[in-house]
Amino acid sequence: MPSTEERIRQLVDDNLQIEGRPQGQPLNGESSLRDTGASSMAIVAFLVKLAQEFNLDAAPEEFAQIANIGALIEFIDARSG
Amino acid sequence: MKVEVEALHRKDCWWGAYEKIGALSIIGIDLTPDTVRESQALSWLCSEERVRWNGFQFSGPRRQFALTRAALRAVLCDRLECDNRQLTFGYTEYGKPFALISGESAGISFNVSHSGRYGLLALAPHGRIGVDVEERVVHHDIDGLSSAVFSPEEQTLLATASGQLKSRLFLDLWVMKEALIKAIGTGFYRNPALFEVPSLMRQGHGEGIFQFPEAPEVQWRLCNLGNDGFAAAVAHERNLDSAPIPEAGR
Repeated sequence: MPSTEERIRQLVDDNLQIEGRPQGQPLNGESSLRDTGASSMAIVAFLVKLAQEFNLDAAPEEFAQIANIGALIEFIDARSG
Repeated sequence: MKVEVEALHRKDCWWGAYEKIGALSIIGIDLTPDTVRESQALSWLCSEERVRWNGFQFSGPRRQFALTRAALRAVLCDRLECDNRQLTFGYTEYGKPFALISGESAGISFNVSHSGRYGLLALAPHGRIGVDVEERVVHHDIDGLSSAVFSPEEQTLLATASGQLKSRLFLDLWVMKEALIKAIGTGFYRNPALFEVPSLMRQGHGEGIFQFPEAPEVQWRLCNLGNDGFAAAVAHERNLDSAPIPEAGR
């Protein structure tokens, strides 16, 4: 079974629209979602997909406090583990 | 070195007046790819801003940041009659920028937003302010997004619409919500599903008064700024002595 990180990276690849990002190019794990340059709408849309994928019931403000992709992985592992 | 002031009068300037609403000035910023403008914009940024620019992995966000921040610098230097090198930015707890001149508060309110080729800068002499713009492009998961950011009543309203009308209504509601949470400075740290856009504005009025449920003593003037290319809204904190807004809206 793919790891949380692999599943998130696939979700990013499939859903997080950022102008100029080649398909499949991974995001820097130390970047916050905001610092990727994705729009707020793209980020919320991605987080909705993420919540569906991991069966999470998390409000936008909970996700907003997550510093970067690495912290997002930890957050999901903690909530779904 | 007041390059910004000179640039305001140049034909190749990528920003200009979009709308004036009382004391509010709305500046439009053209974010169309243009290597000459991007190079010019980058030269106006301070070292910290260039580090941030360089930290963006992809070309779109780099361009949007450089062109928007340079336009912001130019407009602020013009309004505040200061030199670009005197102007710096501080950030609130949630990352909302504010202007400093030689390290002191600049005494002006502003907020910026960009989406695709469109940027907006809102300015006012005082009062908190938030602006949001979203390019009118097709979104495939409107229902999924709606449940995350809209109240049950707003979701019901969206459910009655379909096709292009639904897409338009969705973006119009979105930018009004985001303008408000940007105005209070929290962004999405504040759950936007827990408050509602004024009912008249949901029905298409161009302007209204909003109060957050937990702070009804503070009034916000909310204005729809959108057109066929983008949805946009601005929220501005009202003074107690502000003139009433006509019921029919703007």
